[in-house]
Amino acid sequence: MPVKLPWLKGVFPALVTPFVKKTEEVDEGAYRLLIRHTLPNVDGLVTSGTTGEFPYLTREEQRRLVVIGVEEAGGKPVIAGCGASSTQEAIALARDAKEAGASAALIVTPYFLHPSDKGVYQHFYDIATTVDLPIILYNIPQVMDRYLPRTVVEDLADLPNIVGLKDSSGDLTYTMELLEYVSDRIDIFIGHDEVVLPALAGGVSGMILASAQVYPDVWQKVFRLVAEGRLEEARALQRSVQKLSRIFCRYGGGVAVKAALKMMGLDMGRPRKPLKSVGGALIHETRAEIRLELEKLGKIPVEEAVFEYPSGSLVERFGDLEITPGIITAHRMRVGSGVAGEGLNKVQIDLIAGGKETPLGDAYALQLTYPLHGREALTAILEPALTVRPATLLLPTLPQKNLRQANMIYGPTQSALARAIVDALEAGLPSASGGTGGVKGRIPPAAVDGEVMVALATVHPRALDRHALYQSVHAAATQALAQAFSGARGEEPGTREEE
Amino acid sequence: MGYKTEWLKGIFPALITPFTPDDRLDEEAYCELIRFVLPHVNGVVPCGTTGEFSYMTLEERKRAVEVCLDEVSGRVPVVAGTGCQSTRETVALTEWARDAGASGALIVAPYFLKPTFNEVYDHFRAVDQVGLPFILYNIPQCAGTHFKWWTAEGMALDLDNAIGIKDSSGDLPFMDAMFEKVKGKVSIFVGHDEVVQPALAAGADGAILASANLIPDVWQRVYRAVQEGDLETAQYWQQRVQKLVRIVVRCSSTQAVKEGLRMMGLPIGDSRHPIMPGGGFKREDYGELRLQLEMLGKIKKAPVTYDLGGRQVETEVFATPQTPRTISGFTLKVGEGFAGPPFQELAHVDLLMGLKDGPVGRAIERSMAGWGEERGLRIINERPRTLLVPTVTIRTAKQRRLFYEHAAEGVNLGIRLSIEDGFLPEGILDDVALIANVFVHPAASIAKRVEFNNYKATRHAIRKALEGRPTVEELINEKAAARHPFRYAP
Repeated sequence: MPVKLPWLKGVFPALVTPFVKKTEEVDEGAYRLLIRHTLPNVDGLVTSGTTGEFPYLTREEQRRLVVIGVEEAGGKPVIAGCGASSTQEAIALARDAKEAGASAALIVTPYFLHPSDKGVYQHFYDIATTVDLPIILYNIPQVMDRYLPRTVVEDLADLPNIVGLKDSSGDLTYTMELLEYVSDRIDIFIGHDEVVLPALAGGVSGMILASAQVYPDVWQKVFRLVAEGRLEEARALQRSVQKLSRIFCRYGGGVAVKAALKMMGLDMGRPRKPLKSVGGALIHETRAEIRLELEKLGKIPVEEAVFEYPSGSLVERFGDLEITPGIITAHRMRVGSGVAGEGLNKVQIDLIAGGKETPLGDAYALQLTYPLHGREALTAILEPALTVRPATLLLPTLPQKNLRQANMIYGPTQSALARAIVDALEAGLPSASGGTGGVKGRIPPAAVDGEVMVALATVHPRALDRHALYQSVHAAATQALAQAFSGARGEEPGTREEE
Repeated sequence: MGYKTEWLKGIFPALITPFTPDDRLDEEAYCELIRFVLPHVNGVVPCGTTGEFSYMTLEERKRAVEVCLDEVSGRVPVVAGTGCQSTRETVALTEWARDAGASGALIVAPYFLKPTFNEVYDHFRAVDQVGLPFILYNIPQCAGTHFKWWTAEGMALDLDNAIGIKDSSGDLPFMDAMFEKVKGKVSIFVGHDEVVQPALAAGADGAILASANLIPDVWQRVYRAVQEGDLETAQYWQQRVQKLVRIVVRCSSTQAVKEGLRMMGLPIGDSRHPIMPGGGFKREDYGELRLQLEMLGKIKKAPVTYDLGGRQVETEVFATPQTPRTISGFTLKVGEGFAGPPFQELAHVDLLMGLKDGPVGRAIERSMAGWGEERGLRIINERPRTLLVPTVTIRTAKQRRLFYEHAAEGVNLGIRLSIEDGFLPEGILDDVALIANVFVHPAASIAKRVEFNNYKATRHAIRKALEGRPTVEELINEKAAARHPFRYAP
């Protein structure tokens, strides 16, 4: 009966490999800082895994990472990533790892030239019988384009040196099948950050995760809570890191992890080329999202927002557009305002509509020649290529300091405003029975081509719930439209008794 | 042993099925379509995949086939789509088609509940008993199962009434296996519009195509050229229509074909839900398909009057039934253009068009006299006077080059071609001005894509501004289903 390794359980971070800018040399100092950051909350380390960009590292660099890992680990086990396309190279890496003091080797399914199941078995068999080092098999079909077949694992589990398997597929049907067939002989580790809790509850021994260097504390708690059967609390924790975990797994991998670490003050440099630190798998928009999530988790401080929702006379709020109360009256413009939502999701919309020939037409055109001042106007669209009519600009009243804030305006605010306008447009169409629907706030057909609108939007700078924001904007804009298109033209709404 | 039948060769359009605004079979439009394609084709296929057979009742399918048989009245073979999910229904409908006088049936592999290949085999064996010649139909994109060559070979050789195979997979190694196994015994038809010419050249006997609704004449040329061994001509025409057919195949073919026919003036309504306008066939696809049909001479020019408030300018533009014959309101016009892929190189152009002595002209002069230089604004054209406005901060030399060289060149090309095609007639070039708000993603890399996408976005934005698209009706129809890509968290 095979004997399992007593230490092979718990939380292991798949460490990124830091590089010096420009030269792309391994930054050993940064590596030590990273290990010290994670060590209190982990049960061991994993060097040069997929997150550590192993395919871009030389054999000597991989050996050095193990040496540093062992030096810094304070006696905790170091698992060395020894993945290679060829068996010969994998053996050489495993030999190095053993000499450097690694406790085990993590070896990925051979890739690129797809060997048969027999070839895959022989690969691991050769390594396990040539090098005297415990081996953890590694299934990661997202990058390998194939699964490590269960039947092959079933046979490999009989070899004394095969001690575990890391499953990064995220496919729990596969994980469960492995648990069914081989968990009596080897330890199964979950390698997919999005399904840690269900995998632990299903019976895996631990986790090797990219995100375990960003929030090792969270995973350590999840691990312990599941062991104690406290699933309710474990679920809440898993859910608190679900989006970040998804970003790491699907939208950037190690590159996204490096971006997160940098925001937390741990500069791990850029990935090696051809990967880009941003603009490749990790796009700018997602990077902004990482910041949002780290704020939520309390991993980085949140800037306090000091601002006010516009108040006072509505006709005086359009000064940025060079539209004065006098101009509103003279050109019989329509104005309306609406407020909706609570707390971070509170939104105010101040809306003005007027003829294209009036100064509002000039303001509309001028706004689109005035970019990059922090609160540029954008066109109201339902989705790209579905511009609403009458043509409408959305103008944020607060400076957009970063992409994180802009993400709340582009998309949620923009499309919610557009939707409210089209709703009002539909209400303004002649109904089947002949008359206009009689709905308050309808936009008359004549305005479709004859007028333009500008909506000043005040959105909380720390808003972060797009769905709630969409609802708030839609409600506030609907109110604003109702006021603008049912009150008297050219004056402050409500100044005259409604009939 | 030779072919089981002689008539199964050449170009067969997979006819779309027109529906009336109240969603009934539009028999009149159907007949008009059949008359439109008939001079160029060797047969027709009513109620195939493009004919939305899967959204029609059995009664509607029967009626459509009847109308088709009547209109064709024996001039070419009619191959009725009679495939259903269950064997029982398929056999019943095929028996009906036999009795109604169809020349043959096109029968899709049973779909959704994915039967195994021996079950598929027995399905077609049951159909074989009906006695109507039929075509085995492989369309894995929709059916979810891809014929294995041994299944197809077995059916083609064993089943007396299996006279052909239509392969819509676009998988040429599969077709080549078919040529190897059963060429000369059954007709092998290609059903994927993007690979018609190579398939014909390799030995296909004909093609059943969605795009043959739109360009039956082109496909007939390709077919004849290959028959005559003139591969150069065949290649020329395939390449010429490649983009058009890629849009048709990949962007919701039924809706794409219908909108294309409508642009060409045939009175064809939309697809049945859940296929919808602005769905798989996106607004930007509309613009591109239209340009392709113009290039092929399928959309003709028509006179349009531009009313500049006191002065009228006559022009001729490629007009669809949506194009207004008089265009006014030049004070301020708004048009939006969007083109991709890829994500990082996509173009989004917010375009303003208006009189020089109106809001647009005044905004240009005022901004250029003020903050223009500081904020990276640039006049990139004088006729019409055009202001390029960056909507993303330009930080690096690469961004600068992509924006001021490539995106700007794209915008200018869009303008030049709009001048050439009549949408920006000579008579208005000194009167109107343009403001183009242009977005170039900070991570963009592929310079030529930035250029092409901005060209497309600009050209479409100009047309949309002039034609008043999207219309109020389109906005209302799509408001509930619209999906802004940035509305959701990752």
